[in-house]
Amino acid sequence: MNRRIVVGLVIGLVLGLGAVLRLWTALNDHAYHPPIYSTQVQPVPRDQGIADAHKAAEEKAKAKKYEPPAYRQFPVVGSRVAVWVVAQLHLMFAAFVLAVPLFAFIIELIGYLTGDKRYDALAYEFTKLLSTSFSFTATFGGFLTFLLIMLYPAFMNYLMEVFSPTFLPYVGLFFFEAGFLYSYYYGWGKFHPLVHLGLGLGINIVGTLIMAIANAWASFMMTPQGVSDSGALVDLYAAFDNYSWMPINIHRFIGNVAFGGSVAAAYAAWKFLHAETDEERAHYDWMGYIGNFVAISAFLPLPFAGYYLAKEIYAYNQALGIMMMGGAFSWLFIIQAVLIGNLFLAANYYLWLGMGRIEGVQHYQKYVKYLLATIAICFAVWATPHSLIATATEIRAMGGTLHPILGYLGVMSAKNTAVNVLILTTYVSFLFYRRTGKRPTVSWAALGNLVQFLIFAAATGIVIFYGVYGYFVEASVRIGFSVYQVVSVLVAMVSMTAIDIFLMRGAESTGETHWGKIPPISQYCLIFIAVTFTWLMGLMGYVRSGLRQHWHVYGVLPDGSPDAFTPTLGFATQVISVCVLLFFALIAFVFWLASLHDKKDYVAAKADEDASHGHGSRVPAAS
Amino acid sequence: MRSPVGVNVVLVVLGSTIFYTYVGQLVPQKQLQPPPKVEITGEMTPQQLAKIGDSIAHDKGLCLTCHTIGKKEGALRFPDLAGVADRAKTRVAGLDQLQYFAQSLCDPNAFIVSGFTSGMPTVNKPPVGLSDEELHAVIAWLQSQGGEPTITLKEKLPYCGGTS
Repeated sequence: MNRRIVVGLVIGLVLGLGAVLRLWTALNDHAYHPPIYSTQVQPVPRDQGIADAHKAAEEKAKAKKYEPPAYRQFPVVGSRVAVWVVAQLHLMFAAFVLAVPLFAFIIELIGYLTGDKRYDALAYEFTKLLSTSFSFTATFGGFLTFLLIMLYPAFMNYLMEVFSPTFLPYVGLFFFEAGFLYSYYYGWGKFHPLVHLGLGLGINIVGTLIMAIANAWASFMMTPQGVSDSGALVDLYAAFDNYSWMPINIHRFIGNVAFGGSVAAAYAAWKFLHAETDEERAHYDWMGYIGNFVAISAFLPLPFAGYYLAKEIYAYNQALGIMMMGGAFSWLFIIQAVLIGNLFLAANYYLWLGMGRIEGVQHYQKYVKYLLATIAICFAVWATPHSLIATATEIRAMGGTLHPILGYLGVMSAKNTAVNVLILTTYVSFLFYRRTGKRPTVSWAALGNLVQFLIFAAATGIVIFYGVYGYFVEASVRIGFSVYQVVSVLVAMVSMTAIDIFLMRGAESTGETHWGKIPPISQYCLIFIAVTFTWLMGLMGYVRSGLRQHWHVYGVLPDGSPDAFTPTLGFATQVISVCVLLFFALIAFVFWLASLHDKKDYVAAKADEDASHGHGSRVPAAS
Repeated sequence: MRSPVGVNVVLVVLGSTIFYTYVGQLVPQKQLQPPPKVEITGEMTPQQLAKIGDSIAHDKGLCLTCHTIGKKEGALRFPDLAGVADRAKTRVAGLDQLQYFAQSLCDPNAFIVSGFTSGMPTVNKPPVGLSDEELHAVIAWLQSQGGEPTITLKEKLPYCGGTS
């Protein structure tokens, strides 16, 4: 074959193959190919970058020296609000658990001394509310402790440093409290009355000691003592017995009784409103009256305990006292005046309604309008602010934020006078209630009444005199006047009560008391009083704690958390309301549990129901 | 028709709580912030120091919680500070203006103005806890109350850890 032809064929073949290959490649590139799935992860630059970053972070974390955090954040509401709500709920249940055994013990003692079984039954009824409340107190206490350790570890560490010797005794006392409380409750009627009363006394002593230890921690945060300028512990006893410890002990003790009495009265009101028989209504009317009596009796001396606390705060640090009464927190006391004014109004209204259940009430009813007018005037004076919130035009017209007339009512002289007259007026309402349906038979009755009236008039005169005189002296002198006012009111109440006890001994009955014959609105009044007491407790708890401002421990340990600022009063009242509503939701559960006592057993109730529906024949007759 | 007891009770609890919350919204709303950190340098003039001292007196120093400036009527808790720059020169025998201010701030119970009681905190100790620079600024501000500020950071403050 010609060589040329062979070479030509080879070149043609190569070119042909090349053309076919190119055509194949081109077609292949444009053809559809199903995706290729691989079980192996293909490393891409981003994944690699992330993996490297994780590795670097891990190595950095390993190399880092451990540093305990000073704060952690609670989600959504923040650490401060979380601790605030839990602490407030713990305090509310604790106050209730400390207060109820106190008056349950006193009522049981009255029952033992008089032999009247009704008192014993009443004390037991109050005690029924305790066991679940005790569990709630402990649960919220544990919750609070964990929250504080979690959210404020550095602060808790400092508190441990100062008060570590007090923590184990505190826990130990809780065991005793639980032992006394449950044996008191479950042992009702199982022991000799004196042994049972001893258990009641045990709850109260141990409960008071527990409160006193916890108060030392809380009061130290406000008025720290016994530590150096840098916060190192110098004297544990001084840290414990700091300026505000004893005033807070007294204030909380009395306040707890007032609060506990009002909540117990609310329970009685709830039961009264659901009562189906006159007998039940009579029992719960009486229980509500006693609960309210306890609450208001404790409430009357409470402002004096408040004065003592305020005095010690001023003595510790004047700037702190002025901040409370004349500075950022001064408007809080206007809200407090509204609450206390409402309490006085509601308490008196309940008493006046209660007079209606006693025959022969007409003698005292004519005075009610005067008492009401006095209470309304005092309430208005007490709630008058020192400076008014006004528009620019109004401020110009008044010549300042101080109203030309009302401005005189917004100062301590007027307010101290108003509150002391309020207390005296409420006391008189009590006295009238106590005397309704009775006529004294002692030979010196007229003289006794006259002396009582003179004491009342003298106390009112002293209160008003120093109230007016306070406008003409310096603040340092004026502060001392409140002592005279308080002492005169206390002396009047004690001496008038003492006279009344002897005056009404062997008194002739002019009419019977019809327990249960009281309008239902009186029971809503009791519930309103309980809500107001609870709200007041939340408000005063806020001022005690908020007064420290940006300090965990005032002047010793600053608050460096994002919550170090002091919130507005408006925000504080919203948090307080949440606490109050949560407390009432939980206490409603306690009431419901306590009422299960009176419910029939399920089997017995079912048998009754079946019998009432005519299914009795299904039960085989006994042969 | 009478409403059920449970509903009435819930209304009383809710109604009174809402009412008290509403009262809480009616009063003036003020949020208190921790005192801001101020920067004071050695190059500052007495006038610049006085300006910073004014903010410290209103805020961290808590001075105006108790003291007033130019109050004409009503009782005073603590002495009014209007014109104090002048009075300070002769208030205590043997103390010049600077020494008197330093003593009033750092040893406040050493001399109590007639007609008033003790109660002023030592301001270079907690809880007020002013630093040496802040004390200079407050003194410059006090000097500006009826006078001209003259102090600089170079001057040592007696009674406050410095020597007279």
